Amino acid sequence: MPPPVSSDLGYVPPDGGWGWAVVFGASISVGFAYTFPKAFTIYFKELQAVYSISYSQIAWVTSIMCATTYGGGPISSILVNRYGSRPVVMFGGLLCGIGMVSGAFCTSIMQLYICVGFITGLGLALNLQPSVIMIGKYFLKRRPIANGLAMAGSPVMLCTLAPLNQFLFDSFGWRGSFLILGAILLNCCVAGALFRPIGPGTASVKTPVTKEGRGALKQEVTEDAMEISSPTNLPMKNKTEEEGDRDCCEKINQYLDFSLFKHRGFLIYLIGNVLMFLGFFAPIIFLAPYAKHMGIDEYSAAFLLSILAIVDIVARPTTGIIANSKWVRPRIQYFFSFSIAFNGTCHLLCPLASSYTGLVIYSVFFGLAFGMVCAMLFETLMDLVGAVRFTSAVGLVTIAECCTILLGPPIGGFLWMEWFKISTGRDPQRSVLTILNLQEGLQPSEGTLIDTFGDYKYMFIKCGVVMVLAGTFLFIMNYYNYRMLAKEEKERKAKEEDPKTVKKENEGRSNWIKETTQDGPELEPLREEQEGPKKEVNGLIEV
Amino acid sequence: MLAAFAGKCLERLLLLCLCLSLSGGSPADPAMTTQDASSQSQANSLTNMKNGLNEHMATTQIVNWQTQGRPSDHVTLGHEVSVPGPNLATVESRQTSNQSVSSVQYELLLPGASGTSVETTVSLDNVAEVELTCILDKQYSYLKSFQVTWERGNETISHTNKTGNSWSIKVSVSDSSKLGSYSCTLKGEKQLSGIFHFQVPKIERKEKPTISYLRDTAVMTCECPGYTAISWTWYMTNGSKQIVINESLLADRYVISKKSASITQLKILKLTKEDDGEYWCEAAFELGKSEGRLELKVLSFMVPLKPFIAVVIEVVILVALIACYEIHSTKVKCTEAKKEFDQIEHLKSEDGGLESSEVRHRRI
Repeated sequence: MPPPVSSDLGYVPPDGGWGWAVVFGASISVGFAYTFPKAFTIYFKELQAVYSISYSQIAWVTSIMCATTYGGGPISSILVNRYGSRPVVMFGGLLCGIGMVSGAFCTSIMQLYICVGFITGLGLALNLQPSVIMIGKYFLKRRPIANGLAMAGSPVMLCTLAPLNQFLFDSFGWRGSFLILGAILLNCCVAGALFRPIGPGTASVKTPVTKEGRGALKQEVTEDAMEISSPTNLPMKNKTEEEGDRDCCEKINQYLDFSLFKHRGFLIYLIGNVLMFLGFFAPIIFLAPYAKHMGIDEYSAAFLLSILAIVDIVARPTTGIIANSKWVRPRIQYFFSFSIAFNGTCHLLCPLASSYTGLVIYSVFFGLAFGMVCAMLFETLMDLVGAVRFTSAVGLVTIAECCTILLGPPIGGFLWMEWFKISTGRDPQRSVLTILNLQEGLQPSEGTLIDTFGDYKYMFIKCGVVMVLAGTFLFIMNYYNYRMLAKEEKERKAKEEDPKTVKKENEGRSNWIKETTQDGPELEPLREEQEGPKKEVNGLIEV
Repeated sequence: MLAAFAGKCLERLLLLCLCLSLSGGSPADPAMTTQDASSQSQANSLTNMKNGLNEHMATTQIVNWQTQGRPSDHVTLGHEVSVPGPNLATVESRQTSNQSVSSVQYELLLPGASGTSVETTVSLDNVAEVELTCILDKQYSYLKSFQVTWERGNETISHTNKTGNSWSIKVSVSDSSKLGSYSCTLKGEKQLSGIFHFQVPKIERKEKPTISYLRDTAVMTCECPGYTAISWTWYMTNGSKQIVINESLLADRYVISKKSASITQLKILKLTKEDDGEYWCEAAFELGKSEGRLELKVLSFMVPLKPFIAVVIEVVILVALIACYEIHSTKVKCTEAKKEFDQIEHLKSEDGGLESSEVRHRRI
């Protein structure tokens, strides 16, 4: 087993204090990013009438929004690596606001695609990733709890945003609603303001004032209370000198760490997640239509989703607390795999539900499983790659997920048509359109009810199978990963006991630590470096 | 041969797995608002179904409704019958659309949920031959002596015994005078009755007011899904008068488009304050007319601007507060650090040079 709370950050995260404000800000950002496309569907009917377009055309707005939110991950990562989380989130909030406000004045559907789809989506992307990154910077020992709480912002926001959207639409029409939603999205800037930068220097202030700490404080005072202390400045200066000597690969890796593709844990996570996402979201979309086809009325069907959301709100922080316990934290990857498989099992058992009560029970378990998976989605990635490389990792993972989510339905629809032709020997007409429309949440016509009723069950079974497979895959691969990590740890410990070797940190630590420890006590150089690196402060990477 | 069959099955299975596995669906969390889209699409799909049926030869469609449903292809349920349970109304409709007259069948199972009487609504848009049947539920077959009468208002209609426990009449609905309530009554130990209300289809439209802005466009839609309207007329209420919106009257501002036989749309361009008010859409069927009321509200852009500015001010205040708090706490840290620094200097001067070097040697 790997050591459960190892950190390669270079400082000890506070695990509390201002961190809770960061968690609150993160939950707002995450909430907006995940729920805004969903709550937006209220406007579809009106927009269809105003612009005289079909459902598919208007649904493109949310598709573009989701695509940009997920696909903008790498851009987010690069910007955070360069500028830090706070400016990126505030800029993201501003973009969202601008996008929605300009959407209020649109006169064509193309303008809507750009304003509401692209610009707002990009703003949400710049909100989502940095929020999750900040949690990794502020928390270590209590990181699963912090992650669970931050992700709980999503169902809470959904419960508030959906009725709010309805109210706004009834009072102000769609244009007025867009305007006000733009202002509401500006609250992401407030969330961003809470993301106080933290780095190796700042953290030392929070530690009890020891002899070493006093020295750090002295440096801070002389540097006009800047948050980066002198020892950081010294190696940073060395770093900037060496930058010219680095080749372009390392430069790119500084912004977006492509060397992650050689990281075993990251690859396991990536493949497992891509597999999981194939069957992750479809059941939520088809739950209400499935319920309606079982004969349940519209409001009870919508109530199922409410039950799901409420259970989700409770499940996420609870999962965080469980994941933080000393039994689960070292084996958190297994817990994650288990929750994915549990999710899959729920879907496999769903076709057995033959009444409303059965569906309610399914919703409860589904909400639980969904919350468990979402709460640990980013925590497990942080656990695998470490908080420093997480910035790039999250960007790379989200763009892979984006491809799955977007390209899945069209390819699925095309392959379905081929299957239908082969199996029934006739051209798919209404049935296929029905299935394709199913993807967009439309209800099939009654004529093909009997044809497609079986396919709802197929959908659930297929999602269940995919999730169970993903869970099993992750379980097995993580077992292998844990064993390899334990082996590497043993080898590392054996090397450390060798007296000749200078004390080395983990692989993730940068070289400057080695240099300063090797140099021994410094008196004159430190004092000289106080004034010199002051110039470097602006160019330093803020963390 | 077996191998070929197995191969075909495998191919089918593989394709199915592949395509189903790739049909991911759109991301993130519970969509609570698919009901709007789905109801819209249901209307669309119903219209498509209807059109499709009209093109084909005699198609029999048997639908068994368990709960309150939306009208679909000449089948409607009254609200009393919507309770799921053993005493449901089974409605059977058969449509032969080769001829202009369609033939429809409706059945009611007696008794209904309330115990004594059950009602249902029969919506008819075209001239039709309607066969109404009342069926006695099996559990009441112990009733021996009873009298069955069919009537409409005061008029008694002669019926035929379809089977031992079902009775039916045929009504030829040729004009609006034939619309009304037809009832079958079982008088005996218990009195059970079933009522069929004949009416023109109800128009579906948005119940809540449509909200639009000055100089913007407003679109109002009326539809009667599953039925064919001969023509649609739009009225605007000015005071107590109803004015027909004639397209030639104000051609540049009003656009009436008939999307299909069952959907009509009124588009008003360049809205003014005077356009605010009540609108009526009227559908003319073979058997009569049906009306729907819509409301249009025209707002000025100042109305949403006020909440917008309020929220923006709130955001600015919060950001400023957080920034001030941060500056304040860094200043506090500064003064604390300065105090510490002074203490250290004091200690240094006491201890001497060597010890000060220890202080500065920090373990990183």
